[in-house]
Amino acid sequence: MREATSARVAHILREQGFDAYVIHGGLRAWNKGGYALEPVPSDDLVLLPTFT
Amino acid sequence: MQEIASLLEKHGYAVVALIVFLEAVGVPVPAALALVAAGAASAWHHLRTEMVLLIALSAMLLGDTILFILGRYSGWALLGFLCRIALNPESCILRSAESFYRRGRTTLMFAKFIPGINSLAPPLAGSMRMGFGQFLRLDFIGASLYTLAYTGFGYLFSGVIVAVAKGAATVGRAVEWLLLIALIGYVSYRAYLYWKHRKYRVVPRVQVAELATTLAAGEVGGVILADVRSHGYYDPGAMRIKGSIRLEPNNLLAAVKDWPRDKKIYLYCT
Repeated sequence: MREATSARVAHILREQGFDAYVIHGGLRAWNKGGYALEPVPSDDLVLLPTFT
Repeated sequence: MQEIASLLEKHGYAVVALIVFLEAVGVPVPAALALVAAGAASAWHHLRTEMVLLIALSAMLLGDTILFILGRYSGWALLGFLCRIALNPESCILRSAESFYRRGRTTLMFAKFIPGINSLAPPLAGSMRMGFGQFLRLDFIGASLYTLAYTGFGYLFSGVIVAVAKGAATVGRAVEWLLLIALIGYVSYRAYLYWKHRKYRVVPRVQVAELATTLAAGEVGGVILADVRSHGYYDPGAMRIKGSIRLEPNNLLAAVKDWPRDKKIYLYCT
């Protein structure tokens, strides 16, 4: 299913009383539409283990 | 088996190289059977053993190196793609990476013998920035073990293989049934997922152009843009929608406990 994670999260949030929506097409559609993006802040990055 | 043996008689080394290479890059072809048949052909003096080993090893290392480079340049996107079928995609990447980090070196040496893992190990090593020299050394050991094991088996038991090949028709029918059962299982699994996710299909969606217009109209203060991607935060240089914030799906209710309920929340993933 496309947008599986966002749809699942939106569903849970709506059950909790939030007014949640899914952005159709996700980041790919947003990027394709030429809308503004920004780099993920370094503090938000989750560093996975590497061999280096 | 008989088809492979017949092909080997006609095209010999090229068939060994092609089948081994295809399996190394993830195509589900029976490289082990080809090596066993090539080993038997060596015992019958149709092929030279050292050439079979050299060609198989080279083809395998070439395929693995291609996947390693793909892993290196695709970052975590490849693992993210593979984790999409997991029960919990959000934690799959982290668990897989940590597990491979702990056992990666051993995995590379024995992964060839485990279907599914054999094609996953080289790109994981690439994604996890293993040094190319180290990768090549470990992969060489793994590929040598695999090639020697199956070719050696074919060489040593070449007489038995003739008898086995005669029973291949029966085995073939069993394989057909197994494939049919696997297909039914896969279709059932997809149907189950479709049924399980039915409630998510009623969640309202917004088109990107509509949302961009809303934001441009100055309603930014009244909305929350939340990024729930499972693998968007593992690669330095990753991008996200401007003004959005990370919402960790594994920690959802705790993360939103202080969020205002009068704001519209727009969620996106990949």
